[in-house]
Amino acid sequence: MRISYLSGERVALRSPVLADKDQAAAWFDGVFPIDAGRAEAWLKEELKEFTYRKILLIAVRGDGEEVIGGVVVRSNRRHADVAIHMAPWLPDADDLRGEIVGLLVRWLRDESEHITTTAHFAEDWPATIAAAEAAGMIQMARIRQWYARPGGRADQLIYQALRPFWSEAEAGDA
Amino acid sequence: MRNPILVGERIYLRPLETDDAEIMARGSALEPDVMMDGMRIPLSPVTMEHWVRDLHERQPPATIFLAVCLIEDDRFIGSVGLMGIDYVNRTAETGSWIDDAEFRSRGYGTEAKMLLLEYAFDRLHLHALVSHVWELNTRSSAALAKQGYHPAGRLKWDELKDGVYHDILLFDVLRDEWLTARERWRQEYASVRPES
Repeated sequence: MRISYLSGERVALRSPVLADKDQAAAWFDGVFPIDAGRAEAWLKEELKEFTYRKILLIAVRGDGEEVIGGVVVRSNRRHADVAIHMAPWLPDADDLRGEIVGLLVRWLRDESEHITTTAHFAEDWPATIAAAEAAGMIQMARIRQWYARPGGRADQLIYQALRPFWSEAEAGDA
Repeated sequence: MRNPILVGERIYLRPLETDDAEIMARGSALEPDVMMDGMRIPLSPVTMEHWVRDLHERQPPATIFLAVCLIEDDRFIGSVGLMGIDYVNRTAETGSWIDDAEFRSRGYGTEAKMLLLEYAFDRLHLHALVSHVWELNTRSSAALAKQGYHPAGRLKWDELKDGVYHDILLFDVLRDEWLTARERWRQEYASVRPES
């Protein structure tokens, strides 16, 4: 089921359905293999109650139903933290992740009015970083050599989208 | 010593046991420090026993907590931990808690943390570690600098204090930085250690 406010030009985010168990490698956040049985059990456990504290979303290509990733949003209604997992076989994962970031910032910062929306990126994701900055996210931290890469390491960049609910005069550096 | 994993000068680290739950709950009830992120929370020994039991269930663990105990009498004074251990990227977050306020600001926390970093870098072979500190907790920031951590940035407006939002500061450390810091700390410690 398409969500009107979480659909972009090439990517749409939707709620998970049990049939997603057959494409778990695309959306489940991990490098270890996950079979359909375990994915179904995981989905049933995660989706058994409604909560804004942890929201699961499935990313699909905008022009069809191809599952290309998964998103987990953790929120306490003031702060949101997003984790995006892209299908390991995608040649354009960086571009698509960037579009997902734009959708999430619009939803979490502008519409839902979280004062901070936080995401963690690898420094070798240039399209994602460019999209995040275009959406108004600011780099707040760099954790050195955080990700393993073949033959080396990559830094982790922590970005935040900020929306103070107080005036800038009151907040000082806000 | 009871089931030690790493042994220092005055303290040793051992696995947490369910019978530590009562002491941890008592520590939370007597917590004098209000300069921490979040809030003081009185913990039940039932909750703590459940938490300790859970820690040991998942193998390999994503979270490892070790009890900090005095060598001289096995007294439990706090705990140190690795959280969110990522065995693929070889990273984790570190934390330390000296529950018994009597032992704060006396170097026990740094000694415990040096042992934890040895466990992380030289036994688990992790590559990079990160630590989060509320910006008002200047004591912890100073301790991290002594342990080899470097400032890595901040997360905005994490918690309220006196009506103002304050940030979380991030610090990271690599193995060679910890080794340099440990050598410096050992030399300083040797210079002030009383003759036995």
